[in-house]
Amino acid sequence: MRKLMWKEWHEQSWKLAFACIVLGATALIGMRARIFSDETMMMWVSSLGLMTLPILASTGLVPAERNDGTLETLLALPVQPWRILAAKISMGVMLCAAPIAVAAAASVLITGGRELTVAEMLLFYAVCIFTAICLFSWMLALSIRLPSEARAGLLGIGISIFWLLATAGLEYPSVPAIAWAISPFAMVRELYVEESRKNISLSTVLGIQTVIVVGLWWWTAKHIAGSEQRP
Amino acid sequence: MNDALPANEPPVIELRGVKKSFGKNAVLKDLNLRVPPGQTFAFLGRNGAGKTTTIRTLLGLIKPDAGEVRVLGIDPREKPLEVRRRVGYVAEDQTMFGWMRVGQLISFIAPFYPTWDHSWATQLSDRFELPLKTRVKHLSKGQGVRVALMLALAHRPELVILDDPTLGLDPIMRKEFLRDLVAHLQGERVSVFFSSHLLYEIELVADSVVILDHGRIVRQAATEDLRATVKRLVAPAEAEQILRGLPGLLDLNRSGRQATAVVEDIAAARPVLSAAGVVAQEIDLNLDEIFEAYVIGRRKEHNHAQADVERVA
Repeated sequence: MRKLMWKEWHEQSWKLAFACIVLGATALIGMRARIFSDETMMMWVSSLGLMTLPILASTGLVPAERNDGTLETLLALPVQPWRILAAKISMGVMLCAAPIAVAAAASVLITGGRELTVAEMLLFYAVCIFTAICLFSWMLALSIRLPSEARAGLLGIGISIFWLLATAGLEYPSVPAIAWAISPFAMVRELYVEESRKNISLSTVLGIQTVIVVGLWWWTAKHIAGSEQRP
Repeated sequence: MNDALPANEPPVIELRGVKKSFGKNAVLKDLNLRVPPGQTFAFLGRNGAGKTTTIRTLLGLIKPDAGEVRVLGIDPREKPLEVRRRVGYVAEDQTMFGWMRVGQLISFIAPFYPTWDHSWATQLSDRFELPLKTRVKHLSKGQGVRVALMLALAHRPELVILDDPTLGLDPIMRKEFLRDLVAHLQGERVSVFFSSHLLYEIELVADSVVILDHGRIVRQAATEDLRATVKRLVAPAEAEQILRGLPGLLDLNRSGRQATAVVEDIAAARPVLSAAGVVAQEIDLNLDEIFEAYVIGRRKEHNHAQADVERVA
């Protein structure tokens, strides 16, 4: 497992560094310039993170390796496929979390307590990190058999757009709150819509999302190994 | 057909009635195969014959739809990791991690194999002249294949499975690869299962041969037996009908005043020819010609038979 993590780290670390620099710098400059309110700027920074990080993470981990042919080499090693996936998911989670964490640190350092309390800012960024991980999990699961990064990227964009629209659609009053909470964007909406139409707590949404993410990882683990397509 | 193979030793590979389809495309059709230990075993077939699918089934990378698979006595469906630990595998056109240096690649792969022999790995690296500090993406094709072979051998496997490893190499490199293979594997009495479609090269190293065509094994025999039994017969054109009726006929051609036939058992054909009073010249065949007779000759016969059926209908 240590060697698998080492491999993933070497392959993805430049993306991690790049994303940390971009998101951290955006937060730093945006907050410092104070063109918008702190809350609006945080929304911009987190939107940038949510739209790019899950795609960046999911396309590079499995479809890129399938495209290169190295996934077959990995799967032919005497190692359980779930270990290979665990290393990839760990790296994907890091790719989703670290840049937003860097942006959070930059935001707190520049503006902590100015318009929002530090706790409010940290809660917002924590929810964004979890939302990014949820989106990443959807993208990874649905792109597990795709043989190219480009197709996985397009799929990732499609998944983001789908869930954005679905979240809006599921907010319709007649839709039960539990159905609305399936959307990965539900947590951000729950936190930010001043008068949420859904009578459901953030912790319940968090619980539902955790179950979905674990389910997606299980499904992905089942499908990464069974590369039954004809060589 | 499993002639001339020792039946008393437990086989390193055994397939019984293995079937595999991808959608509607049946790739393996009732595959039966028995590979005795300590041999270099050539697994021959054209592209798309099912060689790679068979090998991936042996390693537990593909699950067969039906049939039994045993590798070193283990069922790869139940214990794929155990099989992969004890087998050295070089995949067809194997892709390594381009960014790694050769030394890093060795350090990455080694921990997955409990039996990895570091001193043997160093010896192999020296013998194969592997540039340990060079990135994998900068290696030549020949060096890449040698790296793959070194990685497949360094954990001292009991069986080595090579899936067309010389694909894409130039003739000199292919010869060097086979020289390395002969030197390092046959000397160690390691069983080798070698898939290829380059027959003139296999001929030099293979103890036994199995010919796969359209997912079915059409012949399995010791290489020498195959050469001794499969012959081309050249007879006058008037004897064409007699030749057509020979047992084990693989191919039949007529050109001008001569008819040529390839039979898989010359001993069975001789009495028929004698009884009919046909004097035919017997010609030895190389593995390439034998393979062609089995794969292309049979298809021609099949097409003729189908045409006959359609005509009658």
